[in-house]
Amino acid sequence: MTGAEFKAAFDGHKDAVYNFAWRMTGSADVAADVTQDVFLLLLRASARYDPSRGALRPFLLGVARNLALKRLHQESRWDVLDEEQFAAEPLEPAETSEMVARAVSELPPLQREALILAQYEELSLEEIAVAVHAEVGTVKSRLFRARENLRRMLSPLKSRRSVSYGTIK
Amino acid sequence: MEPLNDKELSQILEQWKAPGAPPNLEMPRQREPKAARSAHEGWWRVPLTRTTHSLCAWFMTGSIRIPAPVGVAILIALLLWVYSREAARPVATPAAKPVSLTDFQPVKQLQPRVIGRANEGN
Repeated sequence: MTGAEFKAAFDGHKDAVYNFAWRMTGSADVAADVTQDVFLLLLRASARYDPSRGALRPFLLGVARNLALKRLHQESRWDVLDEEQFAAEPLEPAETSEMVARAVSELPPLQREALILAQYEELSLEEIAVAVHAEVGTVKSRLFRARENLRRMLSPLKSRRSVSYGTIK
Repeated sequence: MEPLNDKELSQILEQWKAPGAPPNLEMPRQREPKAARSAHEGWWRVPLTRTTHSLCAWFMTGSIRIPAPVGVAILIALLLWVYSREAARPVATPAAKPVSLTDFQPVKQLQPRVIGRANEGN
């Protein structure tokens, strides 16, 4: 990878990588570190990226995902949960974006990463599967469970929305 | 409480905005590319100078991580080695005083005493 290609990759994908790491970890410092490490790896070992296996963004997000999970493990920010048994409770009312952030951060990490990659980074199921080294079916099921959990956790917002935007006859 | 439908959920999730990479996030720099090296610079010199430079830098700031049991074993071995060396070292004795015959003097009064077999016990 030439210097110009690397610069184009950095300029084009740094926000996506940073945002993904920020949403995964909830920390600006960790997200900045992860972003630096992702591009450092691309710089030093660009041969690891094989264009025939997919676009660069899913590859970079896959690297970011591995680094973010490693950091979360080191900091013991979460315990490994049994995803099948995980059932979310509705959250206490708060600001909408704060509630969404809290709800997403409470998801088990594998559901969380699938949701962030699909919802916010707009990757296809196939691209997510490449990024998280899983089968498409597995990704689909994680995404489904993530959305089900969020539906329950964010249900207090529904009543608020219906109050705010209720129809006046 | 009624759960959200797909559309509502997506609309709500979209309200969580990420800040984007901070402007001070620096792009990692590539090391000096091979093409930029001086044509006069011998190929054998480059790795050597770099290795020497990095070794010097390492000696100034580097650190070695040793597992605790290995560290303790090395320390004990070192102490035993020092102790065994100390134990094996010969004890230094003070040098003997030189003797000169000038201090010898002839006996002034000799009184030999013959001890008989009967007084042998004395």
